[in-house]
Amino acid sequence: MSDEPRIDGGTDIKRFRALRDRYEAVKGEEYFVAIVAIIGLLAFPWVFIESPVVGEFLDGYESLASLILIWAIFAIGFDILLGYTGLLSFGHAAFWGASAYAAANVSAYLTGSPLVMVIIGTGIAVLLAWGLGYLSLRRGGIYFAILTLAFAQMLFYMASSVLATYPGSDKALTNGENGFTEVSLDPLLGTFELSSDMPSILGEFVGTWHYGFTAIFTLLAILAGYRILNSPYGLVFKAIRENEQRTEFVGLNVWRYKLMAFIISGAFAGVAGSLFTVHGSYVPLESLYWTASGEVVIMTVLGGAGSLFGPIFGAAVYLWVENIVSGMGIIGPFWHLILGVVFVAVIVLIPDGIWGLPRAIRKLWAYITNLGGGT
Amino acid sequence: MSILSEVASIVLNGLQQGAIYVLVAMGLSIILGTLKFVNFAHGALYLIGTYAGMLIALEIRVGGKLREWGYTELGLGWGFIPALFIVPVLVFAIGMVMERFIARPFYDRPDTDQILLTFGLAIIVQESFRTLFGGRSYSFDLPATVSVPVQVPLIGSYPLWRLILIGITVALVILVYLMIEYTDFGLVVRAGTADAEMVRLLGIKITRPYLVVFGIGAALAGIAGVVGGPLYAVNPNIGMEVLVPAFLVVVIGGVGSLTGAVLGGVLLGLMQAFLTQFVFVTPWFSYSFSPWAQVGIYLLAAVILLTKPEGLMGSAEVGT
Repeated sequence: MSDEPRIDGGTDIKRFRALRDRYEAVKGEEYFVAIVAIIGLLAFPWVFIESPVVGEFLDGYESLASLILIWAIFAIGFDILLGYTGLLSFGHAAFWGASAYAAANVSAYLTGSPLVMVIIGTGIAVLLAWGLGYLSLRRGGIYFAILTLAFAQMLFYMASSVLATYPGSDKALTNGENGFTEVSLDPLLGTFELSSDMPSILGEFVGTWHYGFTAIFTLLAILAGYRILNSPYGLVFKAIRENEQRTEFVGLNVWRYKLMAFIISGAFAGVAGSLFTVHGSYVPLESLYWTASGEVVIMTVLGGAGSLFGPIFGAAVYLWVENIVSGMGIIGPFWHLILGVVFVAVIVLIPDGIWGLPRAIRKLWAYITNLGGGT
Repeated sequence: MSILSEVASIVLNGLQQGAIYVLVAMGLSIILGTLKFVNFAHGALYLIGTYAGMLIALEIRVGGKLREWGYTELGLGWGFIPALFIVPVLVFAIGMVMERFIARPFYDRPDTDQILLTFGLAIIVQESFRTLFGGRSYSFDLPATVSVPVQVPLIGSYPLWRLILIGITVALVILVYLMIEYTDFGLVVRAGTADAEMVRLLGIKITRPYLVVFGIGAALAGIAGVVGGPLYAVNPNIGMEVLVPAFLVVVIGGVGSLTGAVLGGVLLGLMQAFLTQFVFVTPWFSYSFSPWAQVGIYLLAAVILLTKPEGLMGSAEVGT
């Protein structure tokens, strides 16, 4: 297609083509991904909230921008498991919720430092992912989905009853159905108040320290995701997705790699869950409920499982619909239903998700033009 | 209460709780075993069964969008017995439509796609009910004739409906068992489970039994919805609430095995009833295990899976 000399002449077009070739060459490079991610994260609040036309249409606000990034981290981690390793977990609420509660407990009883909260929250999520992964991965395929769902539900029921307080005392551990409310945050690194604007131009265009704090973790998540997936290690994940048996025959320990993929995605969920506590200063019991697992599944598939940026996009779409569209006149009350219908439509029609839509259209277009070319 | 009567009461409560699990799990299990199709929307069929049963049996004051659209009272008010017979037929039809237009195009797609599709479907059904009827809980009242307590030896008074529920479940289990084991239809279904391609080569249209199997599985979930619905508050979440334990029953019982589904369901039911009622009493302190009731069934499932990953009645090569 590209070497077809249809439109000759015009230096603009030549220049455009050169640029496009250059883009094709660098788009897979790590520095390019990093630059795009940094620019995207810096520009996102402005585009989302203040920019003319787009911002007016999207009608965003800063707290939602941070929330989108948090869920994006969660979805990136989930995609490592679903999109790359081919394992569908319905129990990621366990890691999301457990890390959120862990971070909340750290802030209430230990220290309010956001960094410590995230580190400990993630640690708890990793340990939990290890345990649940060990149990759930005993069975593959559908059984894996069912078992992860079941164990996450178990955790939910434990949090709602037996783990509401620390055993033998009345100090709140999860605080049952009321959710954990006693979160107290200290300034970041002891100096930067999370709710205050960042200095000078950053504060002007990007926003508060809280957004900055979340954005840095998002950047790290994107880069970590990129590194993992483009390493020989990540290649094994893809091999497992394509054909588990053959991967085994090559001499790789499939079970261990699957467990690692599960733990890695649990770690991402842990970072996101802890950031969620920092974000809302509150952990609802629903963060352990299966709906949270369902949401991350929908985000990932909607955006496009098997791509790095697809899940981020999916998270943004989902949360935008949940928070903004739900307030819009006629269609507002039906937002959840609409998301369900769109989700099913995506699975049936475009398995690559919305992020894969341009590629699907391009393929279709190439197909149509080839028909006309009669080759 | 003597120990004997306490045990009897736990057993009866366990059977009643297990009966619901068995009904839902049985449908899941035969669909999964025969069609190799994972139905996350099975809980939605239970949900449809409950709401349909409620609307046929009673006239209820509705909330949600229906109320905004000018309906306040909705329902046929025909009573409970008609509901018990109409709902299975209705859900049977829904199940067949589901097989033909939703499941069949996805037989060749990977498991994960099937799960995602039916999960999406479950959300659509659940949210439709939530939008139409509102998120609030309804009470599905039983007619007075069956809600009265009766005298049971050892235990004392026990709600009649719960006994009937156990009876209905036993009858249905036997019915499905006889159908699968002793009819020509069951023969084709069992042959299809073993080797679908071979059955097709023998000139048998396997798609038709598939349609019926899916319908039967759905109808069982529908019946479970009608008979189990009155025991709890009715709201859009009940479908998913019952689906998770039912899945667990299928996994610990062994996929495709009716005996496994029954055994697993009863086991989980007994476990739950035991933990709900058991109080550990010593001269110094007493500890009630009732907060562990929901947790216990998952722990039990975890133990069974660690020792026997293929399930209690599952054959070793099935699964993974």
